[in-house]
Amino acid sequence: MNDLQTILNRRTFLSGTGVGLGSVALSSLMNNELGAGMLPHHAAKAKRVIFLCMAGGPSHLETFDYRPKLAEMDGQPMPASFTAGQPIAQLQGKELKCQGPLTKFGRYGESDQEMSDFLPWHHKLADDIAIIRSMVTEQINHDPAHTFMNTGTAISGRPSMGAWVNYGLGDEKSDLPGFVVMTSVGGRNPQPIASRQWDAGFLPSRFQGVELNSSGDPVHYVSNPPGVTMSEQRRLIDAVNRLNAHRNEQVQNPEVATRIAAYEMAFRMQSSVPELVDVSDEPQHILDMYGAQPGDGSYASNCLMARRLAERGVKFIHLYHRGWDHHGDLVRYMNICCGLTDKPTWALLTDLKQRGMLDDTLVIWGGEFGRTPMFQGKGGIGRDHHIKGFSMWMAGGGVRGGVTHGSTDDLGYNAVEDVVHVRDLHATMLHLLGINHKRFSVPYQGLDMRLTGVEESRVLQNILS
Amino acid sequence: MRGILSVIAVATSLFAGYLDAKEIDFNRDIRPLLSDRCFACHGPDEADREADLRLDVEEVAKESAIVPGDVQASELVARITIEDPDLRMPPEESGKSLSPDEVELLTRWVAEGAPYQQHWAYVPPQKHDIPEVEEASWPVNWIDPFIFDRLTREGLSPSQGADRVTLIRRLSFDLLGLPPTPQEVTDFTHDETEQAYELLVDRLLESPHYGERMAVYWLDLVRYADTVGYHGDQDHSISPYRDYVINAFNRNLSFDQFTREQLAGDLIEGSNIEQKLATGYNRLLQTSHEGGVQPKEYLAIYAADRVRNVSAVWLGATMGCCQCHDHKFDPFTMKDFYSMEAFFADVDEAQHFKVGGNSLPTNRPPELELPTDEQSQQLEELNNAITACEAQLKDANEETKAPLEERLKELKSRRDDVKRSVRRSMITVALAEPRTVRVLPRGNWLDDSGPVVGPSVPEFMGRLDSERPTRLDLANWLTNAEEGAGLLTARVMVNRLWYLCFGSGLASDLDDFGGQGHPPVHPELLDNLAIEFVESGWDIKYILKLIMMSRTYRQSSLDTAELREHDPLNWLYGRQSRFRLPAEMVRDTALAISGLLVTKIDGDSIRPYQPEGYYRHLNFPTRTYTADTDERQWRRGVYMHWQRQFLHPMLKAFDAPSREECTAQRPRSNTPLAALTLLNDPTFVEASRVFASRVLTEAGDTTDARLDFVFQQALSRNPDELERSVLTELLNRSRADLQEHPDAATALLDVGLAPHHDDLDPIELAAWTSVTRSVLNLNETITRN
Repeated sequence: MNDLQTILNRRTFLSGTGVGLGSVALSSLMNNELGAGMLPHHAAKAKRVIFLCMAGGPSHLETFDYRPKLAEMDGQPMPASFTAGQPIAQLQGKELKCQGPLTKFGRYGESDQEMSDFLPWHHKLADDIAIIRSMVTEQINHDPAHTFMNTGTAISGRPSMGAWVNYGLGDEKSDLPGFVVMTSVGGRNPQPIASRQWDAGFLPSRFQGVELNSSGDPVHYVSNPPGVTMSEQRRLIDAVNRLNAHRNEQVQNPEVATRIAAYEMAFRMQSSVPELVDVSDEPQHILDMYGAQPGDGSYASNCLMARRLAERGVKFIHLYHRGWDHHGDLVRYMNICCGLTDKPTWALLTDLKQRGMLDDTLVIWGGEFGRTPMFQGKGGIGRDHHIKGFSMWMAGGGVRGGVTHGSTDDLGYNAVEDVVHVRDLHATMLHLLGINHKRFSVPYQGLDMRLTGVEESRVLQNILS
Repeated sequence: MRGILSVIAVATSLFAGYLDAKEIDFNRDIRPLLSDRCFACHGPDEADREADLRLDVEEVAKESAIVPGDVQASELVARITIEDPDLRMPPEESGKSLSPDEVELLTRWVAEGAPYQQHWAYVPPQKHDIPEVEEASWPVNWIDPFIFDRLTREGLSPSQGADRVTLIRRLSFDLLGLPPTPQEVTDFTHDETEQAYELLVDRLLESPHYGERMAVYWLDLVRYADTVGYHGDQDHSISPYRDYVINAFNRNLSFDQFTREQLAGDLIEGSNIEQKLATGYNRLLQTSHEGGVQPKEYLAIYAADRVRNVSAVWLGATMGCCQCHDHKFDPFTMKDFYSMEAFFADVDEAQHFKVGGNSLPTNRPPELELPTDEQSQQLEELNNAITACEAQLKDANEETKAPLEERLKELKSRRDDVKRSVRRSMITVALAEPRTVRVLPRGNWLDDSGPVVGPSVPEFMGRLDSERPTRLDLANWLTNAEEGAGLLTARVMVNRLWYLCFGSGLASDLDDFGGQGHPPVHPELLDNLAIEFVESGWDIKYILKLIMMSRTYRQSSLDTAELREHDPLNWLYGRQSRFRLPAEMVRDTALAISGLLVTKIDGDSIRPYQPEGYYRHLNFPTRTYTADTDERQWRRGVYMHWQRQFLHPMLKAFDAPSREECTAQRPRSNTPLAALTLLNDPTFVEASRVFASRVLTEAGDTTDARLDFVFQQALSRNPDELERSVLTELLNRSRADLQEHPDAATALLDVGLAPHHDDLDPIELAAWTSVTRSVLNLNETITRN
């Protein structure tokens, strides 16, 4: 929020003679200070992103990727040609055998998209979503895999994609943070999720994700202390700002102007956040559509909140639903997880659509990885972590619905056709937001850091509308 | 944010105009250009080198692309000036370009003979003559002429000296991380003797809180935290290492010994307990025992983490780049990276893959047990009792057996309880057989095709004469000024000490002394300080005092229009700096002002109030945070429980890092979330109400006297008329409101565990709490200037 202020301060540079710094030092300094610069690079299709993270790693083989050959091979040894020398998680040293699909698939919509019967509400979205069946990632354990999905690398300290988007497109005048995160539970014993997943890394910390809590203060410390009314709080902030401004007449410290603005914004947040989370203005049929019970912290309520955040100009809305880590008893837990997420996801897309917002809202669904075609039996039939091929989908904001992109091999192990790396997903997301991923960089430790890193990455042209 | 590129373009072009008049300095003007625009393809990394051209090595560059003094014949000039975009350098797809002024600069450099200099950071510091300055009375010590001389050459003058109140506040924050008490301020401002300032510096350096303040910085560098970081983020046992650090700073352990003890205390002949605790350094990195981790992968992750940290902390180097490829800008190779790893291949750290466990704390053997005398005695007594009981049991008959067994069970459970309560700390134990370390192609841990490497220091920096050098050899090399990297280490460290005294380094990138880091604006001063540091016997207090005694340090931090215009970022130190306090000090200051601060040194980490449910996303095990209910609630920030995955929201709001990686310089943000924290976090609300009760019991009876007291405690000064009137109005209006809603007063005064003053009028106390709350929220309260 102090960018403008910073520019004004730095203008002093322009009128002065400067001091003995190299010009590179100077320009990188300016870049560092001044945010993303000339954005958008091209006309944006999407104004915001809602990322529905199915944390734990849903099975592609029971959602969007039907492999008849795998069904045929059920119970037989997994051919070593697939697995030799490949990273593997809990199945290390175990006998590897094929596990056929644990549910039926059908074809839905005019586009005939193939989906499993775990996702009946998704069937109605068949013509809206672009299914990617050829995702690959590089990390096989949850925590680093989330880090990889969010930052494009497993190295700590890099900004998450939400922070990048907020940095590039965030409206710093908004009464709400530009990047909001919500987490729900239900399913197998949920994997932890670390706040580093929404960290700003080396970007200024004001671009980090702000967690919206379902109980207690929706944002930390957003409520007045006990016994303090809003008018008392207002009076106190007025006094603080007046004293700061008065003092600043002597010291002329630009930070003070920023602090005064921060206190104003803080006060506005004390109203805008409660107003945001108060869903009493939602008609009953909308609550029913999502299946949301106000204040229950469910994925359904979070989907509704995602729409409300989208309406209020938030740029990146990240929902985590944990509980998709189905090492065992996969059918039971798929029923639970899909039961909790399938309909609300449909409701979110449908609600956005009926408000004309799906056109400029990019929605992305998927986990940090997929699951093995091989059997794991940790309490009933299940599957282990798998990174060489899995499924995600994208919808809205410039995405062509009703298409299926890429495929895995016959056994659903390796993505083989139109392989989509996490970097490609990032590049595509940025592209839809009007950002050229190659030109969206920030100098840090001597490098021009990008969300998509230094390896090649490409925009998925054929899922664009 | 829009339209910024044009701003930069103007800035750089104006700047180039400035350069016209000056001599070209390779390290300042040319190397950064070559490094940023050219070295990625024409630099140290052989694998990515294009056209077989390298520009980072003078001889090679001058054999091909550069003909000194002959612009026409120099391919470098041709390729940066050619019209054809397909031939023009840097190529478009690199995303880099050269501005017309930069092209002109490079051309001029070639025309003038293309003189190279070795990269400044890898040239050993030399002692430079102290410049002679006209204003002979200005310098206090030899630091000052360097500053003064440079300012004069830029046509600028230094600032006035700061007033005494500012000085004691500055010194207190810089050395202790705490504001001075009104008494200390009075004593100092009334001391007319010449030595008053020096005595103050000496006194503060001897305070036990000095070590706490320095530890805050060091713990960021070495990424100290109370939890494992990955996956379940369980607690691990390490807080005695934190106490070691505080103690080491307090007893002014020399920095070379500090280095040796942390990297290799276990290898020091006859090492004592402190030295063993120091080796906790090697165990500070993030670890995981998540089901499904492959030990081989994680050992590779740990090893790389360690190289990043050692190179950043001691060498100011970004060796992390070399995990996958030779460094793009600096002369570090992949082999250097893995050879550095190999020093630590003997660190016993794989046990937790088997015995980690989801307990709190988890197990991270090897650990050192640190029973108190009382615990030792209890254990001895219990052991004796158990032995006796077991002996009796041998002779027991059917009748006596059962009660004896019962007793034995109870004794053992009591012993377990005592054992569990014994403090433990992860340490380094050397394996007899170090792990084999290979160069991992592209950093891929699955690829065993790379050559096996043993421990050695980066090749371009020298070598160690030993068949298999140890961690101790590495530590000695890092601090050996004659034959090792000691002078580089010294330069890195004094630059950071300078940063602690001014808020910015002489070289501004505290963690990158490589080609992409900004070169120092005062290289000679940095050199002399580095040499002085070594010659002083690596004496940190000595260097801090030297800096703080300088006139440069004692200047006012007030901007003048002239300085703001000519040196907006204060690279020339023509004034002191003003900046917001680090997170821990924001807390400590509020506690100190209110009188709540508990000044006990060391111990287990403490847990202040924290929003309920903040740890709900943690699992294995699920976590319930229980805030301390005793005096630990009011201890300093340096002792706060550091949960890597969910750092306390107050620390986070004020830019404390999660400590996953080395942090040499925290950002200083200024956000609404920080404002909300200071306004509404119960720690600050409680401090305000306790502060208010001090106002009512310790200050006079008039509003004016009370406001004086508030300001003296918080800001070391009295309020002026406007401040008085704003706060008096706030007080009166709050009081009026509270009189109508007395239950609101009760609710406010109920925040926090600190005892209540039942004898005070709750309305008055709550009204004054508004005043103290507003003062704790003032920019001035949380700013060091």
